[in-house]
Amino acid sequence: MKTLLRQIQDKGFTTASAGAVLLIAAALLVVLIPMFGRGITAVIFTETVEFRRLQKDLHGRGDNEHLARALADAAAVREPIYTMLREFSEGIDTEPLVKQARDVYQKYGEYLNYHNTPKEQYSDYRKQAKDVRDGLVDALESDDRQTVLDDLDAVLKEKDNPAFADSPAMEFFAMAQRYKKIAETVDLSHRAEYLTNLQEVTAAIRQLLGPLPGEPTPPLWMDQYGATRLDMALKARAALLYDEQWISDGPGKPMVKHIIARKEQFAGTPLEPLFDRVEADWDKLLQPRLRIYWQYFFDDWVNSHYFGGVGPEILGTLLLTLMSMCVAIPLGVISAAYLVEYAGDTVWIKIIRMCINTLAGVPSIVYGLFGLAFFVVTIGAIGKPCILAASLTLSILVLPVIIRASEEAIRAVPQTYREASLALGAGKFRTLVLVTLPAAGPGILTGIILSLSRAAGETAPILFTGVVAMGPIPNFGSPSQWLENPGSLFGWLFQPTRALSYGSYDIAVGDRISMLAPHQQFGMAMTLILLTVALNVAAILIRSRLSRKLRGC
Amino acid sequence: MTEVSVQGEKRNRNAAAEFTRPLLLSPSEDLAGYVMGHLGLTILFLITTTSVAAVFLIFYFVIRESLPFFTTGGGAAILARVREFFTDPGWYPSATEPRYGALALIVGSLYVTAGALVVAVPVGLLAGVFLSDIAPFNLRQICKPVIEILAAIPSVAYGFFAVMVLAPWLQTHLGFSSGTNALNASLILAVMALPTIISVSEDAMTAVGREIREASYGLGATRAETIINVVIPAGHSGILAAVILGMMRAIGETMVVWMASGNASRIPSPWWDLSQSIRTMTATIAGDMGETPKDSEHYYALFTVGLTLLLFTFSLNLLSEYLLGKARAGRGRR
Repeated sequence: MKTLLRQIQDKGFTTASAGAVLLIAAALLVVLIPMFGRGITAVIFTETVEFRRLQKDLHGRGDNEHLARALADAAAVREPIYTMLREFSEGIDTEPLVKQARDVYQKYGEYLNYHNTPKEQYSDYRKQAKDVRDGLVDALESDDRQTVLDDLDAVLKEKDNPAFADSPAMEFFAMAQRYKKIAETVDLSHRAEYLTNLQEVTAAIRQLLGPLPGEPTPPLWMDQYGATRLDMALKARAALLYDEQWISDGPGKPMVKHIIARKEQFAGTPLEPLFDRVEADWDKLLQPRLRIYWQYFFDDWVNSHYFGGVGPEILGTLLLTLMSMCVAIPLGVISAAYLVEYAGDTVWIKIIRMCINTLAGVPSIVYGLFGLAFFVVTIGAIGKPCILAASLTLSILVLPVIIRASEEAIRAVPQTYREASLALGAGKFRTLVLVTLPAAGPGILTGIILSLSRAAGETAPILFTGVVAMGPIPNFGSPSQWLENPGSLFGWLFQPTRALSYGSYDIAVGDRISMLAPHQQFGMAMTLILLTVALNVAAILIRSRLSRKLRGC
Repeated sequence: MTEVSVQGEKRNRNAAAEFTRPLLLSPSEDLAGYVMGHLGLTILFLITTTSVAAVFLIFYFVIRESLPFFTTGGGAAILARVREFFTDPGWYPSATEPRYGALALIVGSLYVTAGALVVAVPVGLLAGVFLSDIAPFNLRQICKPVIEILAAIPSVAYGFFAVMVLAPWLQTHLGFSSGTNALNASLILAVMALPTIISVSEDAMTAVGREIREASYGLGATRAETIINVVIPAGHSGILAAVILGMMRAIGETMVVWMASGNASRIPSPWWDLSQSIRTMTATIAGDMGETPKDSEHYYALFTVGLTLLLFTFSLNLLSEYLLGKARAGRGRR
């Protein structure tokens, strides 16, 4: 019995610890899968004709002729939709029509003046026109169908009146005709309801197809185009075809979501066929097709990341990490070599080792504070947050990582290598430079790659020392400027930059416009993870090759 | 062809010159060699002391910028300021009568750290045991990169995950009013502390040595009994160091807590309710510093928070050093 218990305990313990490792692997997958799965949609997605138009307008990409043909195809199926919408909105949103009727009346007066109508005829004609206008305005402002129809009939009876022949007043009758058609089909008592729903439909169509014809061009790029991606188009289509309403069944009862088809809301009106039309002509309206938008990694943003890519962020991250490596690698490798090859076991060395460990344990935000107080505020030559200050801060942050990795790598070089070199007459320094360091090279490289990925991912140290969310791309100057003033070659060091890490923070929490485009948010985070994980995988591969080689000999 | 042979000849001549050089150096050459050697060593030593300089500069500047927070009011005010900082739970720097009480921030930092450790320590130690004692070599070769990649994901990416994926999930599936809360931050911090805990504790347990395990097996103990009764007690200082290092990772973390903890500076009550928003020291520095003018009281107060954090991690670091040193000494004795 006791043996059984002990066996169960043993098996249970094994299972629990294997479970812990599985849990960790699962956690990794839970983090990585949504990030990559949703991030990749920033690069590979189904584009619409609107996206092709955007790319053409912004970057001149794509074939002109193809695009023109696609746009013509789309316009052909869009036209009837726009017409339906326009005609229906004329019946529902009557305010513009009332204004138009008054305009027509005024124009008619001018017309009469222009034709030098005799005085008594003039006032008679004007009175008749005024009656027609008032009848039309009454009809437009009334909600009761019968009144409207009666008013309109009264107006239309005047159609053959010779007073109006060939004059601008004929416009009255055209308007009355159109309005009658709507009044016969639409229940005008629900006009207010129709009006709000119509506004929603118009907004959805604007989302889907871009600004309606005849509207002024909106100032923001994001409003100038319809849905550029299929996923956004489907969202806009859902808003177009279905209305989501929160209705409470009674007082005190919770609100319940009801989904109502717009087709039912507009049943019997001339707008009803629009919804079937959108569904039937869907492919022609937007012409979706697969796109691999590799330029995402090079393009600048448009409208704070609503469109475009992460090019400047990648550039900024590379500048920061490479600059910090330029400082940290020599310092780190030399320190490690000294500690392994020359240092004895003195108090000083103990202090140095303790400081390296302390440095590794300082929280990254404290590095940021230090960078602010030292590099930005105290060193006058820098004086403001910039690439130089940020990369110097990062270089101190990665220094202990490089020292430890290089120390380990140098220590792992077999003693026989050194002895062979010494036996051939080389001095200690020559042995270090020509034998030990090259032999430790792959190990040191692994450490450098790991610290590169660490530096690329850090955000807190560069928060106050040189990173911005929405800045310009660093200005490198041009060769002619460099020749004129060699100092300008380093001008970029003194400018702030964008970076992937801070960008990922800002795009998730700070940037309101990009919250409308989740693929852009996930795309940025994915790029950052891709960069750091790729560096780490490279380091792991180098190390495993190295260990195979070591085991081989 | 001829060029190559000419070059080869030249090399031979150079080599010959090397051999004909006298083995003994002249006194001046000797002296130059001696001076150069020591000069080189001094330069190497100076380069190595950069880390020392960095540590001292960090402490100097953080202390320099935080001292005015205490000293501006004059002698009597110093104590009042210290008392306010450590006992007042109100952090209202932009009120008309600003209060700089960091108690809620300190408690918030410790709160999420504790929450993270509750998850990370058992899981991490079990995983460490699995890697050191249970997994066969090949499986270990697969598991290690997984843990390394977990450590490689930048903290801001974890924060992004917390805000964009975990927070909505918590809100819809667990019915929290806000997805950015102490639970969210603790869970993510646990994942981030895991790699440190696993690798240090695995090292500690591997270092216990084969003989001691075999002795235990030889007495008829099962693997579980060996690990629980022999390996873990023998490697306890290293394991404790692993926990402390994981704790340091969690308490010093900025981006995750800034993004995922909700940033409401109050002491959670009741204490077990993890669905409350809290605010940590690191998040306060990161969030406030951007809009604080230099040399204002708020600026000094933020540096004081940074100093508190620095002293905290520094003492934890010393403790872990001591424990690791003890572990190494124990190994040496055996």
